[in-house]
Amino acid sequence: MSILNINEVTKVYEGKVTTRALNQLSFEVNEGEFLAVMGPSGSGKTTLLNLISMIDTPTTGEIIFNGMRPQSLNSTELAYFRRRQLGFIFQDFNLLPMLTVEENIILPLTLDEKPVAMMEERLTALADKLDLQNILEKRPNEISGGQAQRTAIARALIHEPSLILADEPTGNLDSNASREVLELLSKMNREKTATIVMVTHDPIAASYCDRVLFIKDGEFFNEVYRDDRRQAFFQRILNVLSLLGGQVGDFSSIRLP
Amino acid sequence: MTFRQFAYRNVFRNFRNYAAFFMASFFSVFVFFLYSMLMFHPEMESGFIGEVSIVGMVIAEIILVLFSWFFIFYSMKAFLEARSKEFAILLHLGMERRQLNKLVFLETMIIGLLSSMSGILFGFAFSKFFFMVIREILGLEDLPLYVSWAPFLLTFSVFMGAFVIISFGSVMYRPDPKLNDLLKRQSMDVSDQYSKRRAFLGIVLILVGYMLALITSKTTLFTFTLLIPIFVAFGTFYFFTDSVFLLLDLLKRQKSFYWHKARMLSVAEQLYTMRQNAKMFFVVAIVSMLAMLCVVLLAALSSYTAQYDKLNPLGIVYKGHVDNPYETEHVLSIISELEEQGFSYHITRFEVIKQTSLATSNEVEIFRETDINRMLFSYGLPLIRMNPGEGMFIPYSDESIKNLEDVTVETVLTENNLPITIDRVYPEIIFPTSIVSRNSIIISDEDFDRLVNPLAVEGEPPAYHLFAFDIPHWIEAKDIGLAIQHIVSHEYVTNSVYSLPFYFENTGLNYSYILATYSLFTVVGVLVVVVFLLAAGSFIYFKLYANLERERQQFIVLKRMGLTDLEQKRLITRHLAPQFFLPWGVALLHSTFAFIALQSVLKDIVNLIIVKEIIIAFCLFAIVQVVYFYMIRWRYIAHLKD
Repeated sequence: MSILNINEVTKVYEGKVTTRALNQLSFEVNEGEFLAVMGPSGSGKTTLLNLISMIDTPTTGEIIFNGMRPQSLNSTELAYFRRRQLGFIFQDFNLLPMLTVEENIILPLTLDEKPVAMMEERLTALADKLDLQNILEKRPNEISGGQAQRTAIARALIHEPSLILADEPTGNLDSNASREVLELLSKMNREKTATIVMVTHDPIAASYCDRVLFIKDGEFFNEVYRDDRRQAFFQRILNVLSLLGGQVGDFSSIRLP
Repeated sequence: MTFRQFAYRNVFRNFRNYAAFFMASFFSVFVFFLYSMLMFHPEMESGFIGEVSIVGMVIAEIILVLFSWFFIFYSMKAFLEARSKEFAILLHLGMERRQLNKLVFLETMIIGLLSSMSGILFGFAFSKFFFMVIREILGLEDLPLYVSWAPFLLTFSVFMGAFVIISFGSVMYRPDPKLNDLLKRQSMDVSDQYSKRRAFLGIVLILVGYMLALITSKTTLFTFTLLIPIFVAFGTFYFFTDSVFLLLDLLKRQKSFYWHKARMLSVAEQLYTMRQNAKMFFVVAIVSMLAMLCVVLLAALSSYTAQYDKLNPLGIVYKGHVDNPYETEHVLSIISELEEQGFSYHITRFEVIKQTSLATSNEVEIFRETDINRMLFSYGLPLIRMNPGEGMFIPYSDESIKNLEDVTVETVLTENNLPITIDRVYPEIIFPTSIVSRNSIIISDEDFDRLVNPLAVEGEPPAYHLFAFDIPHWIEAKDIGLAIQHIVSHEYVTNSVYSLPFYFENTGLNYSYILATYSLFTVVGVLVVVVFLLAAGSFIYFKLYANLERERQQFIVLKRMGLTDLEQKRLITRHLAPQFFLPWGVALLHSTFAFIALQSVLKDIVNLIIVKEIIIAFCLFAIVQVVYFYMIRWRYIAHLKD
């Protein structure tokens, strides 16, 4: 069953220079799917993410989320929609520096006025899964990048949203922390059947997903489905990328075994 | 593009960035210049409010200078901090440290020059208006505009000096910037460490200060006025650096409170703000307290001048022992002076006999019914009628009228064995407090004639003569009897025990002294309050401005996470409100206690109640502050959005 339906969406930025960031893009995301969106710089990935998270509205076309159209909501309803249905993971973590790790994680629940008992229960469960028990009292500036991103994942999961949006979640991490975070994401995807849409440059990150969607200049380019072996999947992703014509950031280093 | 051109373009092309710093300097110059215009006024030198004023005004000017310097220094620091990323880029591109210093210096001088000149220009444009306001406050006939180089030169040199020193100082003592830190600007001090010992010390010191203020009386006034400020100042400092964190920590432990809605965000944000601004809040609290005390003092003085007429119904009083050798000479000279200068007056001569009362064994001063009636007649007040054996109190204050109203005293004047029943009080104050004793009564003429035996106490004059001059235009009669006044005041200054056989008081003269002091306080107070108000608000605004980028980033994240617009506004309000109202709340609390102390002291000295004036003054403060708060909140939200 599809949870998100992008239907012929076009986004045009008017200004001194008019740019067409997305052009009649259509795709679906099924419930429980882990989807990666790849494309060269300027292909409209961030615009797409902004449209899905309702920060921005499409010029034409529609976005259907769980059978409803979030565009028709007013700003307050939209805020409620975001805090209940969506979880966010950012490239630079965006943890609030004055809150402790624990407080950062429960923030979505406090905004939604959930009972303290429930917050504590979910916090313990998630901290166990994500191995955060020892750093709960620390501040974001006292923990490593990997720990920070795990905290951000916990924050994105704690309110059990229908859809998690991840914007280059491994962009600021070293290879070990990246692997850790990606394994966590796919584990959460399997165990909690969380639906994840991840925008990334990194073919390794994309190879953890069920499906990779390629866009180029705001248009659909190709898509690749995962098969049994991750290595083969990774190779196919690389093939598509080379077809896309370079400009994908980490291309050369990735080719190393 | 030369280096100087670069500095120049920096300033003029990003004027918006420099505007906050420019405005701060501009306002300081503006106020300072206005004040200098007043200080150098030719009428000032001819002494329109007496000798004291010049000294007082110079002291106030020095306070103003110190304050504006501190203010500029602080703005400069906030300004440089806000621009550290820009400096990092310049250093990254290979600028030397020395060149950076030069750049900062040049830019500061450009801003300084601009703000000094425009401040002076606007100051001069508004000085006529300012003089009009001052004229109204002081009740002067005329205070014309004048042109002189002195205020211009003083203001310009004071501020250019300040800019040179401050710009040098702030670049010299800046730690060598770590390029990496500057570029990232992530290093944000969020530790919530505090010392429990100091936290408690802060609270205890403030409480002790308050206790002392509560028990202040006339006798302990001197020691306490030295001790209380020390206690309260240190207490306030520790309160902002530590006690606040203790309180917030206690709050955080209540999860059901703390983990509710955006409360967590506001409390945590507050913690951070407090950590960043503890010292500034301390300064703002102390400064606001000074401003409030200034206003309290003004209110007290103004209510005193308003009541002065009522407390001192007589124009001139001459009081002498029965055997005073100068009596005739002095009284005649006063009369001839009054007549020479064409004042209408009414003179009443009293013979006041002292006796001992059996009931209290205190001395009482006894007035004759006819004498009193003669004076009451000149006042136009209702006359009295006494029967033998009856007595009437002479009130010495408003309060005593109420207190004595229902008192009945049966007593015997022991020296002459004369029984008297005192059961009334005259319902108006008819003598100034300094003239009559607290035990003064009026008896009938028949009884008065029976007082033949003098007071039995040794060494005390048994009676005195009192010459009361009722002068309708007493305010203008301040030059009457100056010669006698000089003798009296000379005696006060040189001898600790008053030994002259006579005493003289000219209400008009005393009033003119009080009025002069009051006017001085008003002018100085108003200006200092203006500067303080401006400074306190600007400090807060600067800090906000310096943190704007971080805040904006944070709100973008929160918005994505589903913070509604309303919640965002509420969050901003909760974030701003304590910054405004916490230091002010503390200042208000401090001044309330200072006021209680002042009240008890004033009550002892001049017996007047200033509660109403104080409440009005504080309400005005609160209104100004609320307006200020909303103004800055509005600006802040506008800045956050763009």
